[in-house]
Amino acid sequence: MALLEVDDLKTYFKTREGEVHAVDGVSFSLERGKTLGIVGESGCGKSVTALSIMGLVPGPGRVVSGSVVFDGRSMLDRKQRELEDIRGRDIGMIFQDPMTSLNPTLTIGTQITETLRRHLKLNRDAARKRATELLEEVHIPNAAGRLDDYPHRYSGGMRQRVMIAIALACNPKLLIADEPTTALDVTVQAGVLDLLRELRAEHDMAMVIITHDMGVVAETADDIVVMYAGQIVEHATTLDLFDTPEHPYTEALLAALPQLEGENVREGRLVSIPGRPPDLLAPPLACRFAPRCQYAGHDDCAGVLPALREIRPGHWVRSAHPASERAAHAVGAR
Amino acid sequence: MVADRRAEFEASLIRTAETRGQEAGAALQRASLLRDAVHRFSRNRAAATAAFAFLVLIGFVFITPMVVSASPYDINFENAYLSPSWAHPFGTDEFGRDLFVRTALGGRVSVEIGFAATIAIMFVGIVYGAISGFAGGWLDNALMRFLDALYGLPYLPFAIITLAIFGTPSFWPMVVALTVASWFTTARVMRGQIITLKENDYVRAAHALGARWYRVLFRHLLPNTLGVIIVFVFLELPGVVLGEAFLSFLGLGISPPKASWGTLAQDGYSSYQSHPYIIIVPSLAIAWLILSAFFIADGLRDALDPRTRSY
Repeated sequence: MALLEVDDLKTYFKTREGEVHAVDGVSFSLERGKTLGIVGESGCGKSVTALSIMGLVPGPGRVVSGSVVFDGRSMLDRKQRELEDIRGRDIGMIFQDPMTSLNPTLTIGTQITETLRRHLKLNRDAARKRATELLEEVHIPNAAGRLDDYPHRYSGGMRQRVMIAIALACNPKLLIADEPTTALDVTVQAGVLDLLRELRAEHDMAMVIITHDMGVVAETADDIVVMYAGQIVEHATTLDLFDTPEHPYTEALLAALPQLEGENVREGRLVSIPGRPPDLLAPPLACRFAPRCQYAGHDDCAGVLPALREIRPGHWVRSAHPASERAAHAVGAR
Repeated sequence: MVADRRAEFEASLIRTAETRGQEAGAALQRASLLRDAVHRFSRNRAAATAAFAFLVLIGFVFITPMVVSASPYDINFENAYLSPSWAHPFGTDEFGRDLFVRTALGGRVSVEIGFAATIAIMFVGIVYGAISGFAGGWLDNALMRFLDALYGLPYLPFAIITLAIFGTPSFWPMVVALTVASWFTTARVMRGQIITLKENDYVRAAHALGARWYRVLFRHLLPNTLGVIIVFVFLELPGVVLGEAFLSFLGLGISPPKASWGTLAQDGYSSYQSHPYIIIVPSLAIAWLILSAFFIADGLRDALDPRTRSY
């Protein structure tokens, strides 16, 4: 039994103009101790997927259908109080912007002990001691001395480390990291990623890492889910995905990575994917990537929504023209 | 000899390096948010001067009645309408009462009413605004539309009716009337603050860590509005003092022989052509308080939120 099973999750936002299909039929599962990367461009439903798992979908948003089973029990039909008990204890979460994720009016120590006292019912002294250990664990120098500092005395990278410490405080089974390094400098990013990887192994947690940076998932994830316009378009192991990307979108994403060396180095401009993602207010019933797909338009593939199919063991793709099938009649298509 | 000094020098280098090393790891000297704010406030000359003027006025109204021997209530018609002199710095009124003491005593009433009503306004406004902003949805809508309706009512009749319900105008009815008539803006501002803060990542993080709603509200949201609240205290205070003076001037204020600045001004109004100082002194006192409070509020806003400063 996997730790987290998401099946056909649909989260819609009711607005005046209509329903926004932010997450439209997402399914995946995550084993204990594994790391899943969710990649995709802004607005493709990555974060909303994470929030749906936590039961924290904001505002007019609502999980319309599907199921989220965490640790053998559904998350969707639990009471609010039960969810509050799970959040922070069994599932930890890290947010994108460390500069605003800490309350400026409370000391770092208070913010760490808050979680410990809330979930583990530790007393003040025990919580403080554990908080010091946690800060040491995320490599904050002079941890005991910095417990009483306010967040403005911490740098961005240190704050993200503190956020990680808070998320890990209760030894969660699952850690959801929503763009944990996006707001950080590249060098700091590497440090935070190393730390996440190290702690994931130490605590034997499962991890969902959400990002739009292919480099981040390449380093950390076991499996990768590529999302586009609210749907999963490709799901494979990290190695498989980077070696043999099947979906045209994944191929384009990888091609858009700046190359420092090798045959693909281009002088000057970076490669980009032409066009924009479709409006999720009224998502087309047809293939959602077709307008931007260089393989569409030569047959009637653009008119039908392709199903997510297992093109080979462990490699799922939602496209009428995955790379490995394309080769066979590529000459005719192009 | 030379070797000794050399060894000594090297030892001192090592000592320095060691202490430096410890210092580097140690927490830097704590500069709290509060200390920063105090520093910025005191560097703002207008605000610092205003704060000094404010304290002088407060000192005047609270200390004078204790140290000056002249009675504020004894009627002595021989002394009626004396111009300002050393014996009576602000002169005397039509009953021969010393206006120096009466201005101080009246000021005490005005300032006390002002502070009491401001605290009440803050309390009501913060609770109402915080509930509205935090709850959101239909409750927010209902509470805000009700507030809009109250906004439509004119200030003066509203306060007068509240006073009339109590019958005799004295200290507490005055406080209630002023509160009822002027808590709206605070509530609106609070709601706006809470709504803005609600979107912050640390609030989302608190939810994601399993914090219950009251914890989010009282621990994460309200403390972050403190700066705005402090500024608002000094913005509300002059309005309330002015409102009190206004109502007193209309004869709805503290009943004689007690006085507030408003009733003193009203006393002076009847004879302002022959004895203008009687109305000028309480009016200046009111202006003094209002101006200093506004400058303090301005300075506080800059001190507590340096980002909004325009220069």
